[in-house]
Amino acid sequence: MILSNTESVPGKTITEFFGVVTGSTVRAKHIGRDFMAGLKNLIGGELKGYTELLGEARRQALDRMVQEAQSVGANAVVNIRFSTSSVAQGAAELFAYGTAVRVD
Amino acid sequence: MEFRGRLPEEGINVSRTHPLREALHLSAGLFLVGAVIVMLGAVLVDRIVPHIPTHWETTLFGSYGSSVAADAENGEEDAVLRASLQALVARLASHWPETPYRFRVIIVDQPEPNALAFPGGLIGVTSGLLEKVESENELAFVLGHELGHFHNRDHLRSLGRGLVLSLVLASATEGSTGNLVSLAPALAERSFARDQEREADRFGLELVYREYGHVAAAGDFFTRIHLPGTALERELVGYLSTHPVSSERIGALRVLGREQGWPDSGELRPFSR
Amino acid sequence: MDPDLIGAMLQLGLPLALLFGAYVFGNISENAHYRRLRRRERASRNFPAVTFKSIPPAWNVVNAELVTGNVVISIDHFKRFLAGLRGIFGGRLKSYESLLDRGRREAIMRVKEEARRRGAHAVINIRLESARIASSRRKGKGTTGVEVLAFGTALKLAK
Repeated sequence: MILSNTESVPGKTITEFFGVVTGSTVRAKHIGRDFMAGLKNLIGGELKGYTELLGEARRQALDRMVQEAQSVGANAVVNIRFSTSSVAQGAAELFAYGTAVRVD
Repeated sequence: MEFRGRLPEEGINVSRTHPLREALHLSAGLFLVGAVIVMLGAVLVDRIVPHIPTHWETTLFGSYGSSVAADAENGEEDAVLRASLQALVARLASHWPETPYRFRVIIVDQPEPNALAFPGGLIGVTSGLLEKVESENELAFVLGHELGHFHNRDHLRSLGRGLVLSLVLASATEGSTGNLVSLAPALAERSFARDQEREADRFGLELVYREYGHVAAAGDFFTRIHLPGTALERELVGYLSTHPVSSERIGALRVLGREQGWPDSGELRPFSR
Repeated sequence: MDPDLIGAMLQLGLPLALLFGAYVFGNISENAHYRRLRRRERASRNFPAVTFKSIPPAWNVVNAELVTGNVVISIDHFKRFLAGLRGIFGGRLKSYESLLDRGRREAIMRVKEEARRRGAHAVINIRLESARIASSRRKGKGTTGVEVLAFGTALKLAK
């Protein structure tokens, strides 16, 4: 599955397009376990644990979007965008969406 | 369309102001605003407190310390002593005819000499104080001082000031310095400001004059109480304790007696333990 | 002076020391990060990363794929305290500017590095998103950190 955030896949032509496909995971954005966040909150710096956590969650969202695209018979998703929204007290949705297409 | 790899200038998106200076400015501003509010609050409290009816105070705090008093009243050996203390307080209070309080005295078993006034009309005297007292006149002054605190509604004032202080602290720090905020009202309740102590002294001295016709030996108790340590240590302890430093206090009492024209000598009534 | 005021002032000593320590070490940590960023940016300045979608005609695109880079950065205790003070008086929140600047540059750097790892030669259509990570202990009121996400399409070119 080819993924791109441009409107077409560079170097290829779109022959069919199927519509919007999405993938999302809902994560508790306020994370209790600290991953050294306590110390980092004092002196600042990257919270590597959180970075990995959110990166992993976003990969999951992308995977789900790819699954949706596969189910409609696409071999590429174009114009991919991400969104993060707060859905409940302390929880946020990590959301990826794009248009499923067939390219040659 | 040619690509040229160039980096933009550093630091455009970050203001180059020194954060320490900014912190200092903001903190100073905040402290100033807070101090002004606390001072205005103190003035407001002092204005309002005299208008609060005393029966509110007795209703609110009436049961406060009654359990303490009940426990203390169970000791049989102290019953006679307590009765004489109670009678002394009653005699002193008779010179304050409009008093709305029903005063109760209890004896607290502690070696340090101290006298405390609890909101609602309860007066506590430590056994250590009773051991050091040599004349009834001295004891009368100590008790009169506590009556002075009731007369001036000092408990309510301290409560009010503590409230203002904790409100200002809470709003400034958004509750993040939690233990500091909870400590302030407790501290404010326990100690009275020095001018409050001075006013209580005035009232106590006047009661002594009314009762005995003179103010001899009223301050003698304090000359006898020696705080341990060097002069500086005593100064420090006195500063931080609930009552002002002895030497200052005695001096002030003498000046007051002289100003009012109250005789400085006279017969002392003995105090029997 | 009231004894209660003295007691309150003594209680202020520990938080002040913490603030000072956070200021000093926070500055050290931030400057080190900036040094690392500048070094990596200089090293990769000839790797094109652009926000537009147009592909230069000279480029012969062999492969295209989505790449992302993200980072969650926290600011130090002193800057957070400064922001709290600012919140009372209003005005520009300068202490957070460097946080976002670092976050963006780090995220874009990671996109470039990820693209390079996959054998690409350029990234087009870069987009940025930021989100606040809140503290769970303070019931979502504090700011633990900021997440910056950067994503684009990495192109492998035929030389």
